[in-house]
Amino acid sequence: MAEKVKLFVNGQEVEVEAGKNLIDAFGAIGIEIPHLCYHPALGADGNCRMCLVGIEDGRPPLVPACKTKVAEGMKVQLDAEKIKKIQRDIMELELINHPIDCPICDQAGECKLQDYYMKYDGQPSRMTVKPVLKAKKMDFGCGVVHDQERCVLCARCVRFTRLITKTGELGIVNRTDAARVNIFPGRPLNNRYALNVVDLCPVGAMTSRDFRFKQRAWFLTKSPSICHGCSKGCNIFIDHNREKYKDDVIYRYRPRLNEKVNGYFMCDEGRMTYKLENDNRLGTPRVNGREAGFDEAIESVRRAVSEAKKAVVLISPNASLEQMFAAQQFAAAINAPVSGYSDGYVKAGDGDDFLIKDDKSANRASFALLGIDDSKTAFEAALNGADLLLSFDNDLSRSLSGDALTQLLADTKLIMVASSQTDCVAKAAVAVPVASYSEDAGSLVNCDGRLQSYEVAVVKNQPAKSLIEVLHLCGGEIKSNQEARAGLQAAVAVLKDIDLEQIPAEGIALTESEVAHVAA
Amino acid sequence: MSDRSQLIETGKPFIFDAQRDAEFERLVKRYPTRESMILPSLWLVQEQEGWISAEAMAYIADRIGTFPSMVYEAATFYTMYNLQPKGKYHICVCRTLSCYLLGKQEIVDYLKQELGIKPGEVSADGQFSLEEVECLGHCGSAPVVQVNGEFYEDMNVAKLKELLATLK
Repeated sequence: MAEKVKLFVNGQEVEVEAGKNLIDAFGAIGIEIPHLCYHPALGADGNCRMCLVGIEDGRPPLVPACKTKVAEGMKVQLDAEKIKKIQRDIMELELINHPIDCPICDQAGECKLQDYYMKYDGQPSRMTVKPVLKAKKMDFGCGVVHDQERCVLCARCVRFTRLITKTGELGIVNRTDAARVNIFPGRPLNNRYALNVVDLCPVGAMTSRDFRFKQRAWFLTKSPSICHGCSKGCNIFIDHNREKYKDDVIYRYRPRLNEKVNGYFMCDEGRMTYKLENDNRLGTPRVNGREAGFDEAIESVRRAVSEAKKAVVLISPNASLEQMFAAQQFAAAINAPVSGYSDGYVKAGDGDDFLIKDDKSANRASFALLGIDDSKTAFEAALNGADLLLSFDNDLSRSLSGDALTQLLADTKLIMVASSQTDCVAKAAVAVPVASYSEDAGSLVNCDGRLQSYEVAVVKNQPAKSLIEVLHLCGGEIKSNQEARAGLQAAVAVLKDIDLEQIPAEGIALTESEVAHVAA
Repeated sequence: MSDRSQLIETGKPFIFDAQRDAEFERLVKRYPTRESMILPSLWLVQEQEGWISAEAMAYIADRIGTFPSMVYEAATFYTMYNLQPKGKYHICVCRTLSCYLLGKQEIVDYLKQELGIKPGEVSADGQFSLEEVECLGHCGSAPVVQVNGEFYEDMNVAKLKELLATLK
């Protein structure tokens, strides 16, 4: 456990983590110090002055909490009249030229300026002169739209591009009331993490072109999940909403803090993968090219399995650990070799040294855990003499060219259990829809060997069956995630001591020391 | 404060001439970090061209090894950097306290009438530009006028008339 120090807040003794600044240390125990410019990932800038606090030790009257480390016996004053007045004055200053267009602002409901005004200010405006007008809906590139009038000049976005992406596209130009964030002429945002400035912005100055005007923030349900865009497994919030008389729809992904995986950020491509969860989904089962009922489709799968001379089971590298295990057990029961062949999910050379990985699937590491071979040679060997290929959400059209796929399907019947419409689904003899990860729960192992879990986020009006349920209906033993987890613990040595039902929020690194630590 | 963020693009690449190039290399050794060269470099550009274009800022950023946005910030922050072309003779009249009290307005009014331009403008023939600036640090000999960086002290309309005659 981290070292603790004891200090006093408004005369009351509290115990907080040592080595942190006042904002973080007090934030962790539920005491809020208002701040606009400070962000844990970007460091203390000290420009907004909203976090000024008093320290009774002969220091200058007030100090910024973001730049002050906690110390044993420190006496911190948060509610002095002097501090309240400064907070009020800063809010008034920030609002002098603010357009107050909250009714049409995307940030409304999650806006620091709104929240702090209600909490620390609450006075009517005293301004009688015209506000300074600046540029609105500026296209900053990478899907970021900027409104200079809403900006509070906290410089979080500027610092993000300089410190995190090291691309430095943004700057604060001019000074005094003409100061504004801008790009250098002809050099818009050009990095793969640009949309993080939208999350970082404490107000509505940075908005996402993709999300603008789609939903009010307070209607969104924010469900924690894991991004399946690549093997990094960034922690995310799935923000979704079921509008009246409509279906549950995902509107955006936002990064969720996990110091051990993605920190505060995620990449733009991963952020946009929410569209795959909404659009182009496989809805109706198909048998031999025509729409069919679900039961009929399952029946044809069962018949095909029982009639097959040799079946091969192909598993998606995006499937959860539980789903992989259930499919593996199913394959063993019908005496079919298992493959995880999915070369098409890897985009060689696409990754970087921050969050983006070459492997665009979420759970390939589990193949190794379960001993599933994902090589092409093993897949081809398994197919030798096979007349039935059962693919569990593995889109072969990504790994094989159209010709190669057609050739393969010439003497092999393809059954696709799939979440979305693909070329492969179009060519399959039987297609059975299943829930995708946003509608299902499970565990994943990321590229660094970290085991993480996610829960059901979205519940559709007509929910698709989960992959494990479909496997069970097709004759598999395992009925649920719980059964799969019990089986996994018995079968996989490294998972023996891990409670798969309760994986900690930060995940578990599948190394001996950490597993032992969690088990103890 | 006015908005100075609208940069002018010349459409031509900028490069230091040999003299400024040598000066840049001399100055860069003075500072602990190369970013410190932003302000001196902007001065060098202004010395060379009379004003600073978007291309010149990009050139400086490249030369220093920093982001163009950093140079953009500095150039728009300091009002003494000209971000648009000025006249052949750039006349600055101090408008801060001492000069104000000792009659800078007469000087400005005379120049407005004589040159046919308001502060911030450039004459049609490109000969003159006029600007009111903050304290130039010569309060002891106010009011003070600056022409292309040269100081003219204890100014009045008569002396200004003589000065303009030498410039035309």
